[in-house]
Amino acid sequence: MKKFSLILLVILFGLATAQQVTINYVTGNRGADVEYANAMAAKYMSTHPNVTIKVLQGPESATDRAQQYLQFFEAKSSEVDIFEIDVIWPGDMAEHFIDLYQYESFQDAAQGFFPAIIENNTVDGKLVAIPYFTDAGLLFYRTDLLEKYGFSSAPTTWAELDNMASVIQAGERADGNQDFWGYVWQGNAYEGLTCDALEWVASSNGGTIVSPAGEITINNPNAIAALETAKGWVGTISPPGVTGYQEEDARNAWHAGNAAFMRNWPYAYGLTLDGPVGENFSISALPSTEGGNSAATLGGWQLAVSKYSKNPAVAADFVLFLSSHEGQLSRALVQSNLPTRPAVYTDPALLNSDVAFMANFLPVFRAAVARPSTATAPNYLQTSKLFYSAVHNVLTGEESATDALALLELDLQDLTGLPIAGQ
Amino acid sequence: MVKKNIFLEVLFYLLIIAIAIYLIFPFYWALISALKTENELVQTPASFIPNYPTLINFKAVLSNPDFLRGMVNSLIIAVTTTLFSLVFGSFAGYALGKLRFRGRKPALYLILAMTMFPQVAILSGLFTLIRFVKDIPNSVGFLSWLYIPTPALLIAMYMIFTLPFTVWVLTSFFKGLPQSLLQAAQVDGATFFQTFWHVLLPLTAPALVTTGILAFINAWNEYLFALTFTLQEPSSRTVPVAISQLSGKIARQEPVGEIMAGALIITVPLIILVLVFQNRIVEGLTAGSVKG
Amino acid sequence: MAKETSKLAKKEERMAFWLLVPSLLLLLIIAIYPLGRVFQLSFTNKRFASSQQVSYLGFKNYSQLLSMTIRELPKKLDDDGKAILKDGKVVYESWVRVLPRKPQRYKAVNQFSFLGKRYVLGATNADFIQSIIDTVNFTIITVLLETILGLIIALALAKKFIGRGLMRTAMLIPWAIITVVSSLIWEWMLKSDRSGFFNAFFDAIGITQGNTVFLVDKALQLPSIIAIDVWKTTPFMALLLLAGLATIPKELYEAAEVDGANKIRQFFSITLPLLAPTLTVALIFRTLDALRVFDLFQIIFGEKRYSMATFTQFTLVANKDMGLSSAASVIIFFIIFLFAMFYIRTLKVDADG
Repeated sequence: MKKFSLILLVILFGLATAQQVTINYVTGNRGADVEYANAMAAKYMSTHPNVTIKVLQGPESATDRAQQYLQFFEAKSSEVDIFEIDVIWPGDMAEHFIDLYQYESFQDAAQGFFPAIIENNTVDGKLVAIPYFTDAGLLFYRTDLLEKYGFSSAPTTWAELDNMASVIQAGERADGNQDFWGYVWQGNAYEGLTCDALEWVASSNGGTIVSPAGEITINNPNAIAALETAKGWVGTISPPGVTGYQEEDARNAWHAGNAAFMRNWPYAYGLTLDGPVGENFSISALPSTEGGNSAATLGGWQLAVSKYSKNPAVAADFVLFLSSHEGQLSRALVQSNLPTRPAVYTDPALLNSDVAFMANFLPVFRAAVARPSTATAPNYLQTSKLFYSAVHNVLTGEESATDALALLELDLQDLTGLPIAGQ
Repeated sequence: MVKKNIFLEVLFYLLIIAIAIYLIFPFYWALISALKTENELVQTPASFIPNYPTLINFKAVLSNPDFLRGMVNSLIIAVTTTLFSLVFGSFAGYALGKLRFRGRKPALYLILAMTMFPQVAILSGLFTLIRFVKDIPNSVGFLSWLYIPTPALLIAMYMIFTLPFTVWVLTSFFKGLPQSLLQAAQVDGATFFQTFWHVLLPLTAPALVTTGILAFINAWNEYLFALTFTLQEPSSRTVPVAISQLSGKIARQEPVGEIMAGALIITVPLIILVLVFQNRIVEGLTAGSVKG
Repeated sequence: MAKETSKLAKKEERMAFWLLVPSLLLLLIIAIYPLGRVFQLSFTNKRFASSQQVSYLGFKNYSQLLSMTIRELPKKLDDDGKAILKDGKVVYESWVRVLPRKPQRYKAVNQFSFLGKRYVLGATNADFIQSIIDTVNFTIITVLLETILGLIIALALAKKFIGRGLMRTAMLIPWAIITVVSSLIWEWMLKSDRSGFFNAFFDAIGITQGNTVFLVDKALQLPSIIAIDVWKTTPFMALLLLAGLATIPKELYEAAEVDGANKIRQFFSITLPLLAPTLTVALIFRTLDALRVFDLFQIIFGEKRYSMATFTQFTLVANKDMGLSSAASVIIFFIIFLFAMFYIRTLKVDADG
C-alpha cells in the first residue's frame, strides 16, 4: 500500500515537474510563525526544485481569518492554496476543501494523529484538513498558595476547587490583597465561553450540546446543574468582571498574581514563567463532578487545501510535510506549539528540551472533548452563538439555567433541524 | 467691573483646562501604558505614573518593518485621497452651490445617498468587483498592461466616504459667497478657471482646510476595507491594519504596551499636520473679516 | 435678450455637468455594482461562500427581520385567581407563554408598562430589532452631546488666548487616533478590575470597590460606548463649527456691541443663524455616520451588543446568511434615509438653486 502511494506521488510529481509550480500558503501574522513557515518552505523547496512556496501573511485573529477566507471562497479565488483553519471550521467550510483521503499517503498518515482531532476533521467521510497543532483547556494553579493553605494537591472535583479557592481568597484578602480572586476563567459572550461551558457540562455528564450522532442533548439536569454551579462562582470566587473576561483578561489577573486558579490554554504556561509568579505554579486536568470525567475543550489549528487550487496534489504534499513528525517536533521546540502526533510527546528530543513540560499535557489531549462543529455543520458558528449567549445570560443572572437551556433546545432545533434527544 | 472681568477670565481658563484634560487624558493613559512593561500593565491598582518606565515597546514597534511600511502606505493613500476629494469636491461644490441647472437636487441627494449604507454592506460586492478588475490583465489579452495597484483601488473606495461630505460642506460654503464677486470677475473677462483659482478657492480656504483635514483623518483611520483588500499584499497594508495585526510572541497574546506605542507613533504625524494647517484656519478668520 | 439668457443658462448647465462628472462617475463606477447586488440578494436566500442553490424568496427575509408584535403579559395568578406577590410586587407571566410560536417563533425584545398593564415587545429577529433600538438611542444621544460640546469648544477656541494654537491641535487628538486604537485605549481604561483607570479612580475616591464591569452590565454598556464616541467625535463637530464661525464677519459683532446687545443676545441673533448652514451639514453627516457605527461596536462589544452595522456583519460572516444580511442593509438604508429626510425637511435645507 505504501509503495503504491509512493509511486503515485512520484508520478504526480513527474507530471508536476514538467513546469514550475507555485503554492501559496497563508499563515498568521506573528513574526516567529512567519519565520518558521518560511524556514519549512525553504526546506521543502530544496528537495523539490520545481516548486515555489510563497508564505503569505494573513490576519492573526480567528474571526479576521474567517472573514478573509469566506471572501476568497465567495469569489472562488485560486489565489491561496493552503489555509490554516481553526478546529471548529472543518464542518462549516468543508465544501471548499479537497478530500485529503484521496491521496493514499494521507490514509496512512491519519493514523499517527490524535483520533479525536481526525474525527473532528472528517466530514461525511471526507478528510477536510490535517491536524497542525493542538490546544486544550488546562487548570493552572498556584503551588505556593496551595502549600500555604495546607492543600496537598490540585482539586479533582469542582466542589473541591470551590472550597480551595474560597479559602485561599479569604486568606489573601485578609493579608491585604484586595484584588485577589480564587478562580479566573473566560466568561465573555464569545466562542471562548463555549469552550469553558462545554468543559463544565461535559465533565458533569451533561453531554456535548449536540451529540456526535446529531441529537440535541443540552437540556438535561446535569447541564443545568453545571451552569448553576458556574453562576455561583461569579462574584464569590470569581470576580464580577469574569463575565467580560477573554483569555488575555484572565491571564492578566493570573499574571499579576491575583488568582489562585486559572482555566486557560497552554500558551499561558511560558508567559507565566516570565512574570512575577515565576515557577510557583503547575498545571493539571480540569476538575469534574463526582462520577464525571475531566473534560478539556479541543482547540488548535489544521491545514487544508483549497478546492479552487490549481495544484492540489503538490499543496497536499507540502501539507503532509508540514505536519510530519519532524515538522511537528521542530515546531514544538521552536514555537512551543503543541504537536498533534502523540509520538512526538514521547520523542527523546522533546523530553530533553526546554519544552519537556509538554509531555504533561498528553493525557489531557487524549481525553479532549471536541465542540460539536461537525455535527452541526454548516451552522456551527450560529450554534455556538446561541449556546454562549444562553450561558452568558445565566452567568449574568438574566435567565435561570432551566429557562435558558429549555429555550436553547428549541432555538437549536429551529436552526439545525436536528432532533432533540429523547423525543 | 474689573473684578467681574477677571472672574470671567479665570472661569474661561478653567473651562479650557477642563476641556483639555478631557480630550487629552486617554492619550496620556496610552502614553504611560506604552512606557510600562507587561508586568506593570496588569498590576492592580493601576499606576498613574510608570514605576519602571521602559522603551521596549517603542523599540519593538519601530523595528517592525510591517509597521513602518504601513505608515508610508497610509501617508500616500491618505494624501492622495484628500487631494482628489478636494479637487473633485470643490468642482462639484461650485456647481451645486453657485450654478443653476436641472438635476441639481437629484445630484445632491445621490451623492448623499452614498453615506446611507453601512460599509459592510458593500464590502462583499466590492471584493468581487476588485477581484474582477485585478484579473483583467490576465484574462483580457489586449489589456494585459492594465495592472491597477491595490493602493489606487483603496483610494477610489475611500473617496466614496470622503467625497459626499466634502461636496456638501463645500456646496454650503460656496453658496455663502456673495454673487457680486462672481459677477465682477466674469465681467472682467476672466475665464472660469481663473475665477475659480484666484478668487473662489482662497475665499473658501477655511472650508477646504477643514474638509481636507477631516478627509485625511478619515482615510488614515479606515480599517475594514484596508484589511479585506490587503490580505494578499503585506506590502500594501495601511497602518490601522498593521497595528491591529501587532501580535505577541505567542498565540492569543495581545501586546497592549506595543499597541499603545504604535498608536502614539502614528498619531504624531497627524498632530504635526494639524499644527501646521491650523494656522490656515486663522488666516481664513482674518481673510473673512476683511473681505466685508 | 431672451436668447442671451437661455444661452447663458445652457452654458451654466454644461459647465455644471462637466464639474460634476468626475465625482458622479467615480461614485457610480465604484458603488453601483455592490449596491445593486445588495438589493438583488436581499430577495434571495443566498449563503455566503457556499455553493448551495440560490432561490428567490420574495419578501421573506424582510418579514423575518421586521415582524414584531406587542402582547400583554397577564399577571401570574394562583389557584384562587388572585395575583401572586413576590417581595410585594406583582409577578407577570413569562413571555415564553405569551408570544406566538407558529409559524415563526417570536422572542422578547423588551418589556414595558403602559397604563398599569405590562406588555412585551416580541420580534422574530429580536437581535435585529434590539440593534435598531440601540443604534438609534446611541445616535440621538451622541449627536446631541457632541453638538453641544462641540459648540462650546468652538466658541471657546474662537476667542484669542494664549496657547490657542496648541489647544486647537490638542482638540483634534481624539479624532486623529485610529478607531481601532482609541477603542483599545478606552477598553483598557474601562477594565473591570483596578488595573483599569476608571475602577482604580473610583476606588481611590471611594465610590466603588473597583469592580464595576462597565462593558457587561446592561445598564452601563450604552453609556460607556456613548462616552467613548463623544470623546472621539466631538472634535469633528468642533472643527466644523469653528470653520463655520470663521466665516461670520467680525463687524456684525462690533455693531451689536455698539447697539448694546449683550453676549447672549449676540449669540442667538448673530452666531446661531449664521452658523446654521454649517451646523446643518455637520448634523446631517454626524447623524448618518452615527447610524452606521461599526468599528466601535465591533471592538468594544463584539457579539454582546449589536449596532445595526455589526448585526449585518455578523449575520454575513458568522451565520453566512448573505440574503438576510443584504435585507438588513436595505432596511438600514431606509432608516438612515428617513433620518436624512427628516433633517432636510425640518432644517429647511435649501436644495433649490
